[in-house]
Amino acid sequence: MDLGTRSVLAVAAVTVIVSQTLLIVWLLFRRAARRRTRIALEERLRFETLLSELSAGLIHVSASDIDAALERGLRQVVEFLGADRGYLDAYVGGMPGVRFSCARPGMEEAPQVLDAGQFPWTAERLGRGEAVRFSRTDELPEEAAIDRASYERVGTRSKVSLPLNAGGPILGVLSLGAVRRQREWPDEVIDRLRLLSEAFASALERRRTELSLAEHLRFEKLRSSLSAALSHVSAPDFDREVQRGLRQVVDFLGVDRGSLIEFTRDGRTARSWAIEEWMDVGEFPWMTARLQRGDVVSVSQLAELPDEAAVDRQSYLTHRVKPQVAVPLLVGGIVVGGLVFSTVGAERARSAELIQWLQLLGEVFANALARKQGELEAQRLRQELTHIGRVSALGELAASLAHELNQPLTAILSNAQAAQRFLAADVVDLEQMREILSDIVADDKRAGDVIRRLRVLFKKGDTEYASLALNEVVGEVARLVRNDAVLRNVTTSLELASGLPRVRGDRVQLQQVVLNLVLNGFEAMREPDAGERTLVIRTAREDAAAVRVEVQDSGVGVDEKDVDRMFQPLYTTKAEGLGMGLTIARTIVDAHGGRLGAANNAHGGATFHFTLPVSTEDKS
Amino acid sequence: MTAAPPMVFVVDDDPSVRKSLTRLIRSAGHAFEAFASAREFLARERHPGPCCLVLDVRMPGLSGLDLQEALAGAGRRMSIVFVTGHGDVPMSVKAMKGGAVDFLTKPVDDKDLLAAIERCVARDMHDRGAEARITEIQERVQMLTPRETEVFALVVTGMLNKQIAFELRISEKTVKVHRARVMEKMRAGSVAELVRLADRVGVIVPKS
Repeated sequence: MDLGTRSVLAVAAVTVIVSQTLLIVWLLFRRAARRRTRIALEERLRFETLLSELSAGLIHVSASDIDAALERGLRQVVEFLGADRGYLDAYVGGMPGVRFSCARPGMEEAPQVLDAGQFPWTAERLGRGEAVRFSRTDELPEEAAIDRASYERVGTRSKVSLPLNAGGPILGVLSLGAVRRQREWPDEVIDRLRLLSEAFASALERRRTELSLAEHLRFEKLRSSLSAALSHVSAPDFDREVQRGLRQVVDFLGVDRGSLIEFTRDGRTARSWAIEEWMDVGEFPWMTARLQRGDVVSVSQLAELPDEAAVDRQSYLTHRVKPQVAVPLLVGGIVVGGLVFSTVGAERARSAELIQWLQLLGEVFANALARKQGELEAQRLRQELTHIGRVSALGELAASLAHELNQPLTAILSNAQAAQRFLAADVVDLEQMREILSDIVADDKRAGDVIRRLRVLFKKGDTEYASLALNEVVGEVARLVRNDAVLRNVTTSLELASGLPRVRGDRVQLQQVVLNLVLNGFEAMREPDAGERTLVIRTAREDAAAVRVEVQDSGVGVDEKDVDRMFQPLYTTKAEGLGMGLTIARTIVDAHGGRLGAANNAHGGATFHFTLPVSTEDKS
Repeated sequence: MTAAPPMVFVVDDDPSVRKSLTRLIRSAGHAFEAFASAREFLARERHPGPCCLVLDVRMPGLSGLDLQEALAGAGRRMSIVFVTGHGDVPMSVKAMKGGAVDFLTKPVDDKDLLAAIERCVARDMHDRGAEARITEIQERVQMLTPRETEVFALVVTGMLNKQIAFELRISEKTVKVHRARVMEKMRAGSVAELVRLADRVGVIVPKS
């Protein structure tokens, strides 16, 4: 073997070895590349699967399962991208609202809500629709110092946040964070996140629509139930219904406190109703003043309060109440009150819609307040008028009432002076003295009765309903007018039915009605040639459910065409009459659930009558 | 003329006032009778002796003033003390014009009432005397013949016999005779006395 041959052989051998080695290496390479490609393909496939699953899941999910689907989707994304924490912040009215969060097992849970105060730079950029991405916190710019400190405090080392918007205002933010170690967020990841975020955005949009629809429905339901409850509420039930209404509103809004304030005409606080603790409006002069000017006051953060609201600010701090929203209640352009809601916990954004809703609810409360004020005013006027009517009727009786009181006083004086004279005699007839004393006592009682009857009728008091015997009521009046009848030369008689069921009513007011009818009867017999003047007061059973009182006179009668008019205010045929007697009488009878009417008698004169329902505890 | 003791009548519709007033009257030692209404009193026969009526103004049916009027209408002169709960001026004026002795307001003080009753009885006795005298004079006038009455009526006007004779178309002598008979029947001592008597009974001057 020559050297040349050997060399050739060696070269050939080396060549073979090298080429085989190369082949092996190439083959190895090819395998690795193929594997990589396969892995890449597989990964790509997994992503596509995730994306389609996520999209399908978020699109086909029912409204009630949407939150669970969002949470599930977020977990898949976190796992897929190997992040430690993930958040999905759903924005409401451009501000962070509900947060869905997901953390790897063993990781600390994220804060419940994205606090714009702690992450101002981040919030500001996201609000502009820009993504936030950093691998290390020291990548954050100078102006993000607050954010950096906050990130470091919660342990976030790397982070990516993408704003979600389906072509409109920001709907939410999708964020991923690394806690265990720093990591990069290559463009590829961002691109994928962007694809995923579209599915989240459309789901959030849907969620928002559903929620808003549901909330609108809830609001309309609340409003109509409040309207129903408050539109027919009578004054005695007012407090209870307002309290219940406020509770419903507070629950609906998810706030902690709610108050209804009523202002008087001169702008002072008349009353307030509150859910939970109410702070005196005096503690919030700035807010109260603005409410009274008809302004809506919405305070989301204490920082919003102007300098002149120093007292209010102090009160917010004292009561540890944070945001407050107050709407004025207007009736006919006049501020009659205000609705105030506040939370004890976090400061919260107030959407324009919320204020609009509060204003709508405010209308319901305003109407209720106005109606209550109107009702109370009417009631007060009615009582005032009733009292005036009574006093004026008694005024007509003044002369005869003085006589009524004078009679027993005369008897008492004469008896006492006679007794003094008898005592001066040598022999005192004790039997006679006893007789005189017992007469004096009787007359004293008689005078006392007159005064008592008068005092009752002159009294200005609230209506007091009680079970009454109608004959007693009528009898009292008959005693009262007895002297007046004598003076007017009228023969009065009582025809009282026995065994009448009791009625429910105000004794004084019913006496007033009878008194008015009797005085009217007297007046009708005033003509000098009236002939025999007779007046009959009669009680009778009307039917199973009512009793009847009649006052029949032998006077001039009523003009048939005036029968309806004479119950109207200011209708009078008397020169000195107020023209209110019959009007008041009708008002009183109506309030007692009865009817007042008049008709001419067959043989001259007129008969006025009224009915009263039988007291329910005495229906037979 | 019988000398009956003074009697006090009380008319008041209010039983307890009536009773107390009569007690007071009894305590002063007067005889009394009480009535519940004006009609009741009118039904009672006339009291022959001196009396006094204590009368309530306001009563059902006939009032006190009505009773005063009814008595006057029936020619029953009575001395009346009115008592009233509400003495208004027109009412008291009417009562006093009708001859009331007093008009007292309730409650009445015993001294006022008893003093008024005393005055009332005194007035009644006085009136009664005057009444008796007038009755006597009237009786004398009744005794005159128609012609004598004519002469009487003309004498008191101050006419001379001659004028009377001319007026009555009789002789002066006949006038003198009639005149003497008139003076005798009327028991008048002078023309002046005759004029006074005529004044008392109110002889109507015949028309010329």
